[in-house]
Amino acid sequence: YPSYYIKPVHKKEVQDELAKSGELQKLVHMPTRAALNDQTCSPAQDDLINLFINYIMRDGLKVLARDLVERAFENIKRIQLEKYHKCASEEDKQKIELNPRVIFHQAVENCKPILNLTPIKRGGVRYQVPVPITPKRSQFLSMKWLIAAAKEKDSKVRFHHQLALELIDAANNRGRVVKRKQDLHRQCEANRAYAHYRWS
Amino acid sequence: MLRRINGILEPSLKHIQFKNSQWICVSSTQFKAKSFSTSPPKPEVQVKKNVSKAMKAYLERAREHDEFMKQQTLEFQIGKRHLANMMGENPDTFTQEDVDHAIKYLFPSGLFEKKARPFMRPPEEVFPQRKAAEFDETGRPYHFLFYTGRPNFYKLMHDIVDHINDAYKFEDTMIRKGIKPDPNLALELSGYQWSDKASLEKELVEGIGDKDYEAFIATMERLCDLPYSYRSKDFIFKYRKPLMSHEQTYQAPRPQYDADGRAFITTYECLRKRARGHVTIRAPGTGKITINNEEITYFKDVQPREQMSKDAL
Repeated sequence: YPSYYIKPVHKKEVQDELAKSGELQKLVHMPTRAALNDQTCSPAQDDLINLFINYIMRDGLKVLARDLVERAFENIKRIQLEKYHKCASEEDKQKIELNPRVIFHQAVENCKPILNLTPIKRGGVRYQVPVPITPKRSQFLSMKWLIAAAKEKDSKVRFHHQLALELIDAANNRGRVVKRKQDLHRQCEANRAYAHYRWS
Repeated sequence: MLRRINGILEPSLKHIQFKNSQWICVSSTQFKAKSFSTSPPKPEVQVKKNVSKAMKAYLERAREHDEFMKQQTLEFQIGKRHLANMMGENPDTFTQEDVDHAIKYLFPSGLFEKKARPFMRPPEEVFPQRKAAEFDETGRPYHFLFYTGRPNFYKLMHDIVDHINDAYKFEDTMIRKGIKPDPNLALELSGYQWSDKASLEKELVEGIGDKDYEAFIATMERLCDLPYSYRSKDFIFKYRKPLMSHEQTYQAPRPQYDADGRAFITTYECLRKRARGHVTIRAPGTGKITINNEEITYFKDVQPREQMSKDAL
């Protein structure tokens, strides 16, 4: 596509918002790209889950990636239902989250780092300097760590099962991925003396 | 020979002031008469002769171009009438569109480059426009900005600034009266873009540099940003080109009716990447989807089916 072609707005809610603010009028006359195959105007569309599927995908095997994520969500549902039915009181039952998408969103949110360490060379020595990161980058790191943690498993365990366990743990603020994020934050705190090396 | 003339002239050069800095190659006899006098030689006679020669050539060229254009226009008109006769149409109501159709019919061409195909168009579009005579016989230019080298372009810039100043003055009077600008009257600029460099050059019959074009855009944007810019709407829209051909309003296709009286529409050649499809929609509908005589399970994968569903599959 030529560079001046704009990306389409495929969600009805976003289109309505644009129409209200008056932005839609400007976009109507711009040449637009075609929507991607996983972008629909269905209300059940979830852009974050599509992004996650793309990160899992290898060698263009979209069908496999989607299948893995679907099975992971199914596993989450099963595990949560088991917990739900084993619960004694109503209060505990209320606390258990059954919707796998909500758990996924919560997990990604809990694993997002705020700072990152970058190597900066000063006086021949490479220091690990804590540096802020953009929201998009932090979201990417969160999802990447979740997938990496799901891969570190026993060969007999299936990936989608491990992923389900990781997501549930992360949503409850425990587990390997959240620990990795907290370790990173601790390192940043320890290295805060070098923070001024960002500007030298 | 010129060097020898230089040698003679040098002692008297300090007294001589030429009107134009060009060296005039004059025969040596004239100089021998003047080279030893202290009073400055009168160069007016010589200068006038040379300017009038250049002027003569210039006028000649302008006249020739005008005549050529007249000739071409005449030929074009006669040719158009002949073509209309050939096609059996009325020569008086034969438009340029009809001419294009006729040429396509008579000279079918398979060339990929559309500009290389045969065409018949009025000479103003075919031959590059030239400026008319820019100065009169005495050498005095008609345009007040002639000596800038690009009078039309700079005149345009001056015009824009005039409009800006007008808008400022009007705004001042409005502020004094206490009236605010009406937001409904504000300029609608979406759907248009500034005319590109090539078309601007064509309109002005002058070459424009990139920086000058950017300056032009910046000044126009400045004019459009003012609250009372709608007063100069006609001037601004001379240099605005429509972005997409939204001037051709989309005409929705009419539905056809089948034996049962149900309306249906078929859209042919729906494209996405290498896929081609024809889609038929019937109303009133049953909600059934048929793809190549199969149900929606034609798509083995779940992803294409999601567009149709309200819930996630």
